[in-house]
Amino acid sequence: MTQETEVIHRVLEGDIESFRFLMERYERPVVRMIRNITFDRESCEDIAQDVFLSAYKKLASFDPARSNFSTWLFTIARNKSLNALKKKKPLSISELTEKSNPQNPSDDMAKKEFYDRLDKTLQTLPLSQRRAFVLAEFEELTYEEIAQIEGTRLGTIKSRINRAKEKLRTALEESAGDIL
Amino acid sequence: MKIEEIYKAWQEEKRQIEIHKEFSDEVMDRIYQYEREKRKSLFDIQQLIELISAHSLAKAGLVAAGAVTGLVRIAFVVCTFLRT
Repeated sequence: MTQETEVIHRVLEGDIESFRFLMERYERPVVRMIRNITFDRESCEDIAQDVFLSAYKKLASFDPARSNFSTWLFTIARNKSLNALKKKKPLSISELTEKSNPQNPSDDMAKKEFYDRLDKTLQTLPLSQRRAFVLAEFEELTYEEIAQIEGTRLGTIKSRINRAKEKLRTALEESAGDIL
Repeated sequence: MKIEEIYKAWQEEKRQIEIHKEFSDEVMDRIYQYEREKRKSLFDIQQLIELISAHSLAKAGLVAAGAVTGLVRIAFVVCTFLRT
């Protein structure tokens, strides 16, 4: 039995405080995933709170034989991110640029331009490609785990990630042509 | 800077995340609140049962309500039977 499975058992037996262990282990990856999918720095933590509350409520339905806890949790986070995106008004490109990198005023302009271009490209990717790309490149999940989270075939995930990378590479090359 | 380096630096930046310190405390507060509400609703049903069993008037009222419901149901069945 893994440490996580033991903790889940303890929580289900009434030791609520043990849930904090799971949360502290996954709060950063979950918030980061939501932020990179929704591009919403303001509410990504609120959405993440809902993810953990839902996970707690549904914990009895988690089956370790079917998936890892992280995969199960990321699936909840994926669904909450989608719901948040449905409710949210789409951001304008200028808002995106402003929100994409507010913490680095000292960065040189060229670097910022590159980052902005990549952020914009990431934001304009079809949602399924963006989700697969974020899970693979930022969360470093395996393609099998992503396929499980997305409920689709491995080949589809590979192709989504490859297409996303191709678009980002093109954007970066175009930026290099414009900026350098 | 090469394109690969820019991409790696961007990827690294996207991995950086700051979460406010109270994040897990806030979630735990919501979980405890959820548990309190869950117990409270269970307690309300138990409280109602205890209230009824503790007062003979409440018990009589419950029995009377049950009897009236039964009679109405019998009357409804009889009426339906007579019509057909």
